[in-house]
Order: sequence, then structure tokens, then C-alpha cells
Amino acid sequence: MSVEAESTAPVATRVYKPAMATGWWTHKRHYFWYMVREFTALPMAAWLLWFLIEIQRSGSVKTFRPGTSTAFVIFSFICLLFALYHSVTFLGLAGVIIHIKALDRPVPPRAIVVTMFGLWLVASIVIGAVLIGFGR
Amino acid sequence: MNQKTERAPKVALSHLFWWFMFAQGGGLAALVLPVHILVQGVLGPLGVVPVADRHYDTWISILGNPIVKLYLLVLIALPFFHFAHRLRYLLVDLGVPAAKSVPAQVIFYGGAVAVTLVAVWVLLTTAPISLG
Repeated sequence: MSVEAESTAPVATRVYKPAMATGWWTHKRHYFWYMVREFTALPMAAWLLWFLIEIQRSGSVKTFRPGTSTAFVIFSFICLLFALYHSVTFLGLAGVIIHIKALDRPVPPRAIVVTMFGLWLVASIVIGAVLIGFGR
Repeated sequence: MNQKTERAPKVALSHLFWWFMFAQGGGLAALVLPVHILVQGVLGPLGVVPVADRHYDTWISILGNPIVKLYLLVLIALPFFHFAHRLRYLLVDLGVPAAKSVPAQVIFYGGAVAVTLVAVWVLLTTAPISLG
């Protein structure tokens, strides 16, 4: 083969950056929990949609049916686990995301995380007390 | 003549808006959603505690309060902007690059907007607004 023919021959392309395998997130525990964190959105969205439907059904005493079945409790319990995981991972990252200063000094990330978890506790107590208090 | 043209930096307002909604939705869901699910989805139905949404008269009078309506709108609508982003990138991570495309963005963030509009409609039509 001549030199000219060699230079005009199609060059096979090489993939230097292989595509990620679909199941890459199953290879390491850290990746798996990252995907679980991303997935938490789905059950939380499902629960909120149910809640919206329940509000809509409250429009008439005939259609009012608060969820009482075992299936609903199991569904809510599963959603609760995902919601708790979302809370822990999201609020745990607050120290990395939020940068604020107090008295011209940056607030330590640990203090921000502790504050966020404290806010979570206070919000939970207040909302829980209101929901239960009005039910009495 | 060498003429330099200086352009003012363009503020990515759209980017800023969606990231703001993502962060606020995620923060709100983290702070208040677990207690709603625990009380209204587990403890109330099991009869462990009395809950406001178990009885029609109590629930409908609470739903009529405009502050409650506003709270419920924020509680339901805002997290969906967070969910839209999370679910879109979940698909990307699962090997669906099309989830990054503009049509996918329209579907996911449009879905969040649709949920917001439905929530507004439901809250305005379900219980008459009353300050009492």
C-alpha cells in the first residue's frame, strides 16, 4: 500500500472515555446511597400528590375519605423513610452550601449544620403539635 | 483601529430562578415533610394520635383559613421544583442522556408548574376562604 493511500484511509475512531455502564451505581456502596438520595424525590412526590388528592376530596362530605387502610400506612411509612433520608442528607450538606458571616467572621460549617438540624426539630414539634392539637 | 467591545456580564436569571426553586423546595421538604407524613400518614391512620384531617368538620374549617391555604400551597408546590431536578438527573445517572435535553426540561419543570397550578385550583375550590 502506498503512503498516499495510507493517509487517505479512514481512521478508526477510538473511544478514550468509555460510556458509563447503566449499573455503575451498584458497584460501590457510596454510589448506591447517592442514587437512593436522588430517588427520594419519587416517593415524596407520590405522597404529596396523595395529600393534594385528599384535600380535593375534602370538598364534599360524600367524597371525604381520609386514608386509613393498612396499604396506605405502609405506603406512608416507606415514604417517611425516604423523606427522612432526604432530610438527613440535605440538611447535612448545609454547611457546604451556606456561607454566612457573623461579626465579620465566617460561621463554621458545623454550626450551620447543627442550626439546620435544630430548625428541623423545632419545625417538626410545632407542626406535629398543630396537626394533633386541632385533631382533639 | 483596534476597537475593543466590552460586554456587560449577562446574568443567568433563568438559571438563578430554577436553582433557587430547587434549593428552597429541597429545604422545605427536608424541614417539614417528614412530620406531615409521620402524623398524617402513619400515626393518625393507626389511631395513635388524633389528627386534624381525620374529621370532615375540623379539616374543612382548617382548610378554609387563608394562611393554611398558603402554607399548603407552598408545602405541596415548592418541593416539586426540587423533585423535577432530582428525577431528571436520576434518569441521566441511569443512562438516559435525553433527560438533559430541552424537551425533558420542559416536561419536568413544566410538571412542577402544572402541580402548582392544580394545587392553587384545589385550594381555592375545596373549602371557602374564612377568617373565622
